[in-house]
Amino acid sequence: MSTESGRFDRLRRYPEDVFWGGLKYGFVLLLVSSILGPYLIVVLTSFKTPQQMFASDALIPSQPTLENWVTAFTELQGSLLNSLVIALGTTIIALAITIPGAYAFGRKEFPGKLLGFYGIVLALLFPYIVLVAPLSSLWIDFGLYNSVAGLWLAYQIFVTPFAIWILRDFFEKLPANLEESAQVYGCSQFTAFLRVILPLSLPAVAAVGFLSFLTAWNDFLFSSVLTSSQGPQPAVVVLYLTISGGSGERVFWGQLMAQTLIIGFPPLTLYLLARKRITDAFAV
Amino acid sequence: MSTTTAEWLQDVSGWIGNGREVLREYWFEYLLFVPTLVFLLALVWGPFVRGVWMSFHDWPLFGESTWVGLDNYAYLFGWDALYTSIRATIIFSLQTVLQLVVGLGAALALTRISSFRDFINGIYLIGFTMPPVVTGTMWYFLLHPQFGPIQQYLTDLGLLGSPVFWRSSGDIGIWVITLVSAWTFWPFVFLVLFASLTNIPDEHYETARVYGASRIQQFIRITLPQLKSAILVAISIRIVWNLVKVSQPLQMTGGGPGYETSILAILLYRFTKEQRELGLSFSVGVVLFVITLVFTVLFIREFERATGEGGETA
Repeated sequence: MSTESGRFDRLRRYPEDVFWGGLKYGFVLLLVSSILGPYLIVVLTSFKTPQQMFASDALIPSQPTLENWVTAFTELQGSLLNSLVIALGTTIIALAITIPGAYAFGRKEFPGKLLGFYGIVLALLFPYIVLVAPLSSLWIDFGLYNSVAGLWLAYQIFVTPFAIWILRDFFEKLPANLEESAQVYGCSQFTAFLRVILPLSLPAVAAVGFLSFLTAWNDFLFSSVLTSSQGPQPAVVVLYLTISGGSGERVFWGQLMAQTLIIGFPPLTLYLLARKRITDAFAV
Repeated sequence: MSTTTAEWLQDVSGWIGNGREVLREYWFEYLLFVPTLVFLLALVWGPFVRGVWMSFHDWPLFGESTWVGLDNYAYLFGWDALYTSIRATIIFSLQTVLQLVVGLGAALALTRISSFRDFINGIYLIGFTMPPVVTGTMWYFLLHPQFGPIQQYLTDLGLLGSPVFWRSSGDIGIWVITLVSAWTFWPFVFLVLFASLTNIPDEHYETARVYGASRIQQFIRITLPQLKSAILVAISIRIVWNLVKVSQPLQMTGGGPGYETSILAILLYRFTKEQRELGLSFSVGVVLFVITLVFTVLFIREFERATGEGGETA
């Protein structure tokens, strides 16, 4: 195979290259605009006054106003605080449970490991929505209904399997024999974990923490079923009620769009910060 | 990830027979694992079993429950809305196919682009990371027949005769919520596949090119086999998660008109939150659970069969 024929090959393939290149960039452009387009409209709408909304079809607001954002934020204030408290607590509990569990799965051998691991995979694939009925009645019996602690617990159902999955992957990939070397220097099994492994895992722990936080922040189902309007309702539930609860009331679209952006921004930021670790764990 | 029966037996027989010794030797490992185990049992399997018990009762959210035997199931299966709901659920789950096609295409395209990779990747994730209620609210506005800009442009351009009131038409509404859900969650498939694609060594492709393999041949012989387990994981998870997503379609149509866009998840939500009939709610849950199980098992079996044959020739 000479270089001549190689060059010839490339020439012959030229139209094909153009076709695939065009397809590739065309598809990426299509996807990017299918996301940025809607968001652009939403952002622009959030700066329009109600009068502008109804007066003209123009996409760009003629006299942009911050009023929507101010009212949206004031209205959501309390529920955003609820969301924050719910998500923070969920994250702390999830980390406390899953760090040791994932460590056992990632770096230890013990009888029953396989069974336990499949139990977690099964939990990951569990259609958790079927649990809303038994959880509602149990939560009422135990006085957890309408309480922040009740939501912290309920969210473990879908946060922990995920957290274990990602952390286990990270622990597994740490160099072998770390603990043994630590034990040579006088650490016990427990202090080796606490003083050697844990500090090394901080980036992964942070990523999992972010993910737990945004999962709890985003969830509507459990917070809607396990609270009532007298309880600690998070921002997503309040947003849901603006449309479905507002019977025939006039909808202020600009303000509504500002609300969606306010609620959507924190999880987006956290995800982008954590994405490297999260994607690594899903490379199967 | 394939496990032989021997490994299973070894794993399980570990504690049968000499449980105490095993405990003495592995106490630290078990101590680490206990919190996870307790939570799995107390929060997933415990409530699940209680739910099965509840489904044999007339069980209001507050107040006394009474044993009704199989009445809940009898009522459910004799109720027309259940079949409307199952039909809607099947249409709604077709989005998994769309998510696979778009997610795979996006992953393939992005691995072949060197500049702005992180940036494009970040854009793909915007809708996916926001609460589904949020994206549902946005699309509710964007597609609103009177105030939404999209229908307005389409009618202005003459592409649409008159605005479509999709919220009051179940036939159109079900497709609207299906497509919006596909739009929201395809990036998950993309994430998993993209991560795996970047792990395929370049040498594989170089060798293939030396032997004159076309792009399509390279895709079938190298990319697809390497992506096999990634596709399996991504799609199994999506099948289940697409069926349990309730908030976004609920926000967009409220499950109406009637029950026409009430996928089983919404039906279950309405029984719990609106009717407050927990026994009925769980019997819907059982139907949903069985459908999820059937879909997942069917998919995994067919997938293994299809790729198993492909693997032999490759």
